[in-house]
Amino acid sequence: MTHQTHPYHMVNPSPWPLTGAFSALLMTSGLAMWFHFNSTILLSLGMLTNLLTMYQWWRDIVREGTFQGHHTFTVQKGLRYGMILFIISEIFFFAGFFWAFYHSSLAPTPELGGCWPPTGIIPLNPLEVPLLNTAVLLASGVTITWAHHSLMEGDRMSMLQSLLITIMLGIYFTLLQASEYLETPFTISDGVYGSTFFMATGFHGLHVIIGSTFLTICFFRQLNFHFTSSHHFGFEAAAWYWHFVDVVWLFLYVSIYWWGS
Amino acid sequence: MYYKFSGFTQRLVGAWASDAYSPQGLKPVVSTKAPPIIFATPTKLTFESTYDYAGKNKVPELQKFFQKSDGVPVHLKRGLPDQMLYRTTMALTVGGTIYCLIALYMASQPKNK
Repeated sequence: MTHQTHPYHMVNPSPWPLTGAFSALLMTSGLAMWFHFNSTILLSLGMLTNLLTMYQWWRDIVREGTFQGHHTFTVQKGLRYGMILFIISEIFFFAGFFWAFYHSSLAPTPELGGCWPPTGIIPLNPLEVPLLNTAVLLASGVTITWAHHSLMEGDRMSMLQSLLITIMLGIYFTLLQASEYLETPFTISDGVYGSTFFMATGFHGLHVIIGSTFLTICFFRQLNFHFTSSHHFGFEAAAWYWHFVDVVWLFLYVSIYWWGS
Repeated sequence: MYYKFSGFTQRLVGAWASDAYSPQGLKPVVSTKAPPIIFATPTKLTFESTYDYAGKNKVPELQKFFQKSDGVPVHLKRGLPDQMLYRTTMALTVGGTIYCLIALYMASQPKNK
């Protein structure tokens, strides 16, 4: 009978990295086909295979950790490093958009009228829906901390309740932001103001949707008793990601909505 | 006035009574036993004593199931549903890649005006 004498996880051979890589090929070339030849079949195929890959890859991780017990303390440490490094890479991603915003807004060109907001742009009032959005995300930060403490204390019902409230706040933010998008008097093609506004807030909104999805998966895992009071890294990773999304919004609000008006 | 030894300055420094009553170095030993894992039953009393947790805890039986040493890799461990999903994904991926290469080849042909 063989057994490992180390705490690491030697993963079974898996096809998902391959299907993931090819789905990336299909998505990128699909974008090109859509832009230049008005055909969406490759893009749709790419997005579908990407979704299938993500579902099966993460399903396998749950099987390996929760059901097969491979997530030792050492393995968990590696997962923590991984999540932190991923979030740091996302911070750099957003840093690019903030750089673009400040580059254009700190020294507005004569073409814009030499002022920020540029001539002709009516910015959104930061004290209306954007302020509500800020309150919504800050509240969701409180409720997710409540959920974490409930989980650590073994209070199953409170954990489910507070996690559900967190998810609902995330959905509320997304709906509010979508309605704001329909109400803006400017579009993405309205010069550099429109470009920086919609690129930064648009990618942020996408990350809110990703974060809400991650939290929803944690909700169903908690329903199915996957988490214990001392071992629940999937939930912690979701919470870290959610706090990151919240902080990015605070920077967006202060820079683009408030200072930029 | 109470005193304690500051490990930082290596001198005696003023301290509160609390430090005198639980002196440094003589703090109660932290239990090295891991706290009991709270799995399903909550420790707090709820207003309903009988609670339906929307289904019972199936994790222990799933653990037994997925730990069967049958040599099957984890992505196929459940049998037929896993196989069907894997084959669908692979078929779409490989088919899509072939379609992509053909489309890119055709797109790279110069337009005959």
